[in-house]
Amino acid sequence: MSSPESNVQQPPYEPKIIGFLCNWCSYAGADLAGTSRLSYPPNIRIVRVQCSGRVSPELVLKAFHEGADGVIVLGCHIGDCHYIDGNHRTSKRIPMLRQLLAYAGIEPDRLRLEWVSAAEGERFATIVKEFTETVRELGPIKRVMVTG
Amino acid sequence: MTPTHASEKPRIGVFVCYCGSNIAATVDVEKVAEYAATLPNVVFTQTNKYTCSDPGQEEIRKAIIEHKLNRVVIAACSPRMHEVTWRRLLQGTGLNPYLLQVANIREHVSWVHQDRGEATQKAKELVAAAVERVPLHEPLEPRQVKIAPSTLIVGGGIAGIQAALDIANAGYHVYLVEKQPSIGGNMAKLDKTFPTLDCAQCILAPKMVDAGRHENITLFSYSEVVSVEGHVGQFRVRIKRKPRYVKEDVCTGCGLCTQACVLKDRIPSEFEMGMGKRGAAYIPFPQAVPLKAIIDAEHCLLLTRGKCSMKCVKACGPGAIDFKQQEEYVEVEVGTIILATGFELYDMSALPQYGYGRYDNVLDGLQFERLCNASGPTEGRIVTKDGRVPESIAFLHCIGSRDENTNPYCSQLCCMHNLKLAHLAREKTHAKVYQFYIDIRAGGKGYEEFYKRVQHEGIHFIRGKGSEVIQDGDKLIVRAEDTLLGKVVEVPVDMVVLAIGMVPPKDIENVARIFNINRSRDGFFMEAHPKLRPAETNVEGVFLAGACQGPKDIPATVAHASAAAAQALSLMSRGQATIEPIIAEVIAEKCSACGECIVACPFKAIRMDEEARHAYVVSAMCKGCGTCVAACPSKSIKMAHFTDQQLIAEIEGILGRMSEYELA
Amino acid sequence: MLEALRKKIQEIMPQVDGVIALRRVGKGTAPHLFLPGDDLSELALSPQFPLPTPVRIIQAKYPDKRFAVVVRGCDERQLVEMAKRRQIFLDKLTMIGVACTKEQAEYCRCEMPFPKQVDIGETVEGIPQTFLDDFLAKPREERLAFWKHAFAKCIKCYGCRNICPECFCKECVLEDNLWVTSGTVPPPFPMFHLIRAMHTVGKCVACGECERTCPADIPLTILYKLLKRDVETVFHYYAGADPNEPPLMDSTIFLADMDMLHPPRR
Ligand SMILES: Cc1cc2nc3c(=O)[nH]c(=O)nc-3n(C[C@H](O)[C@H](O)[C@H](O)COP(=O)(O)OP(=O)(O)OC[C@H]3O[C@@H](n4cnc5c(N)ncnc54)[C@H](O)[C@@H]3O)c2cc1C
Ligand code: SF4
Ligand code: SF4
Ligand code: SF4
Ligand code: SF4
Ligand code: FES
Repeated sequence: MSSPESNVQQPPYEPKIIGFLCNWCSYAGADLAGTSRLSYPPNIRIVRVQCSGRVSPELVLKAFHEGADGVIVLGCHIGDCHYIDGNHRTSKRIPMLRQLLAYAGIEPDRLRLEWVSAAEGERFATIVKEFTETVRELGPIKRVMVTG
Repeated sequence: MTPTHASEKPRIGVFVCYCGSNIAATVDVEKVAEYAATLPNVVFTQTNKYTCSDPGQEEIRKAIIEHKLNRVVIAACSPRMHEVTWRRLLQGTGLNPYLLQVANIREHVSWVHQDRGEATQKAKELVAAAVERVPLHEPLEPRQVKIAPSTLIVGGGIAGIQAALDIANAGYHVYLVEKQPSIGGNMAKLDKTFPTLDCAQCILAPKMVDAGRHENITLFSYSEVVSVEGHVGQFRVRIKRKPRYVKEDVCTGCGLCTQACVLKDRIPSEFEMGMGKRGAAYIPFPQAVPLKAIIDAEHCLLLTRGKCSMKCVKACGPGAIDFKQQEEYVEVEVGTIILATGFELYDMSALPQYGYGRYDNVLDGLQFERLCNASGPTEGRIVTKDGRVPESIAFLHCIGSRDENTNPYCSQLCCMHNLKLAHLAREKTHAKVYQFYIDIRAGGKGYEEFYKRVQHEGIHFIRGKGSEVIQDGDKLIVRAEDTLLGKVVEVPVDMVVLAIGMVPPKDIENVARIFNINRSRDGFFMEAHPKLRPAETNVEGVFLAGACQGPKDIPATVAHASAAAAQALSLMSRGQATIEPIIAEVIAEKCSACGECIVACPFKAIRMDEEARHAYVVSAMCKGCGTCVAACPSKSIKMAHFTDQQLIAEIEGILGRMSEYELA
Repeated sequence: MLEALRKKIQEIMPQVDGVIALRRVGKGTAPHLFLPGDDLSELALSPQFPLPTPVRIIQAKYPDKRFAVVVRGCDERQLVEMAKRRQIFLDKLTMIGVACTKEQAEYCRCEMPFPKQVDIGETVEGIPQTFLDDFLAKPREERLAFWKHAFAKCIKCYGCRNICPECFCKECVLEDNLWVTSGTVPPPFPMFHLIRAMHTVGKCVACGECERTCPADIPLTILYKLLKRDVETVFHYYAGADPNEPPLMDSTIFLADMDMLHPPRR
């Protein structure tokens, strides 16, 4: 946060985004966005997991705590999960965590869950663009959380 | 962060790839390498033109040996491309293949970002994340499992039969489970087969007999699989044998009981699609395999009311009838499984406007096949319910297919079977024949030619989907919009044949659950890859054959079945399979035995040791999804290669550098 | 009511090896295992002190014995959720259901002050949870300020976790430096409290004990009850209602349409 006293020039705020992507659909979808040379903002850093079902609420909270301004979880569409229904659990965990963030006064839109298939490179790029803008508007996580 | 084997200080080598200009055009590869050299534990960095090429790999190999590297980070293309290649490379140098981390700076950086500064910065962070993570990697050993030399095949249609014969002929044992009293499936009901018009029974029956007699095939007819445990190589399968009330080993198939049954010719025959009648004691059809009688418990007077003159028992010479038979359960162990459960016709109760099941002379394709068949209920005469030779017949296409309200997909072969049936109708009667179609799909060897041939047989093609069938006295009026003429037409006919869409059997959901496999949006079983792995599933050792994977004609079914058999055979002939070591493990001391993980595991791979009060993972059943890890409240499960520590190190690696960037 | 309960216990005692209930100790009450022949004169009823934890400990120690337990609505629901998680064995447990009084229900702000089967007492209506809506009527910034203020008072005594019957883990993530930075008080906002809140989803029956125990008076159950309400309205999962229903968060039930859960928009 910039304090009025300091004269240090702060770089403009660039949102830091962690993306948890399942290996089989969404990571492949992100790869396809690359192969198709679709461009999207560079703010997202992708962490590969085997299944979106691996993403525990604790991990998401940890990413925020470490300073992520936004966290996006992407998995296979319901019915297409490589592990049958690992993502059924994700479909409850992440939305419930969003509820909790909201109740605690933290913008729930800092966390997003979407299903992206291996064929949806275009959708991946669109979602990342949108989400980057959302998080840019919400501002740094430090405004709402103690990080580090 | 400390490395896992603390004695060994991590010595990380970082290799950054140019990928020709694929990466180098947007990412300053040299800068990334220079930066990597400043990171903790990094003792060697190098840039390569093509890291995946032989010379590229050779350089890494040399560096690993010369610089005694014990961890490797490669910043290049997606790990989905070459992770496996590089793991092999590590293994070749004696390093455990899992001591590698790949940073994706091509698909996720150079190809999607234009600004060189931003792209280079992102590449640096991803390398930093990998450098943070890789010291925490643990050496993992791939697991070997033995493959039992036997296969379970579920479903005895042409797909199941073909696969069974392929495997049995190769010398492996097959357990063929069919839920009906006879194998044969839908093909057994057909009269002629398009496009060559050879008789279905003539080509199917010999295969059925072979399957019934083969020394390597154990046939469980009138049976169902109730549960499967275990994993590739060692599946334990429990099979329920429903009582036939006829001792299979004693019955000679003479059929005297079927003649004697007091309910003879009073019950609609399933095989004849309700067009013919049978008794409570019956043999499904003359070519049935096994050729054994069965007593239908739903209708048999003795079994339903407890009273009957039991003429069947008296008629049976060898004394095969046994009303005391009970359900039996059999357990077998197999190394591989093939599902071949086929298809059913779409349930027409959702489309009452066609009068199916309500009007006597509205038939489905299979019923019409039975009418045409010489051993069918009319001995091959095409007649209406009240015995008239029809003067006109309408064939309606795409009923319960290609329609958002029923099934969006095309059932693929109804066009062809309608053309075939139209041909048979013209051959056997002088009826005027109409085809109501949206468009004709005749893709297949000899199919278009067959279509051309039928076009010249005096058949009227009306381009428009039949929308309604109305009974008007003796006649049935078919209403449709003729899209060529652009007006609604009403055509009176004596008989209507509906090409009803193919859908998965009603119990498919249950079967999917038993075998833990997915279904695609159309409801059929889902293959591992729509193009490259059409006969495999996501469960190792379980394969798909025939129409259970999606509508197929006979040639496609047989080819698919042989493909499934070949897959199963190749596994069994290897005798061993390697399973990824990326699996979960319960830390027993921390576990409170709450069982959340057991509920969460999609593969039922976790069990509870009730005595010791902790859960444990059956490692050969675990697929490594990590769902259990996220479920465990006390984080008492460790997911190899994706531990919480490793993922957090990766996140810290990224975010740590991001803030550096912010301050810079 | 106490008299009726005493009679009921006397009636049941011959069929069991002991009855777990509350007992008067000095000025307060505490859980107690009454054995056959024991004097029941100090038997007590209170809206406080959840009994499931003593039941868990006693059952673990005497796995072959059969006990009865006096349950209020919250006890019963907790026992059910714990049974799903193998911490309680319902087949070796007889429940004596007690309906709480109006005063007790008010004291706990309890939405459902009675068990499924009521043996003792008259069922009274639950207390409407309107304070939850009042809380949600605050704009987000105010909610944030509210919790920052409340959680800043946390002295990390683990009282909320220790008292909660549903927190039976052998090792708790809240004590793991990987998740909650150790050695700082108050714990950095909001890891500690949000992790714990997530762990109550589908388990918490809103007994309110954590909040009553908290020496810093942090109104924890506002968060837990809001989550509980979502779980009920969206997933139709009522914690403690059915021992045969699998724990919600791990089941294959899925949210078909993510818009079904609406975080408050302000
Ligand atoms: C009217 C009509 C006409 C056709 N005409 C032609 C034609 O002329 N030429 C052509 O090439 N194709 C034709 N076909 C297509 C042909 O019928 C299919 O290609 C073929 O039957 C598919 O074989 P299958 O073994 O995969 O499935 P099926 O024939 O459906 O066999 C599946 C078998 O599995 C059994 N089963 C199902 N579930 C279970 C279970 N849970 N446990 C145990 N057993 C189970 C069933 O009882 C059945 O025996 C026609 C189809 C129809 C509907
Ligand atoms: S990692 Fe997945 S498959 Fe393995 S035990 Fe856990 S939930 Fe089951
Ligand atoms: S979820 Fe965790 S604590 Fe519960 S049984 Fe599984 S490993 Fe043990
Ligand atoms: S807070 Fe979570 S980890 Fe800790 S005891 Fe409760 S449920 Fe277990
Ligand atoms: S209200 Fe508190 S103590 Fe009671 S069940 Fe919920 S979290 Fe546990
Ligand atoms: S594998 Fe993609 S969500 Fe499970």
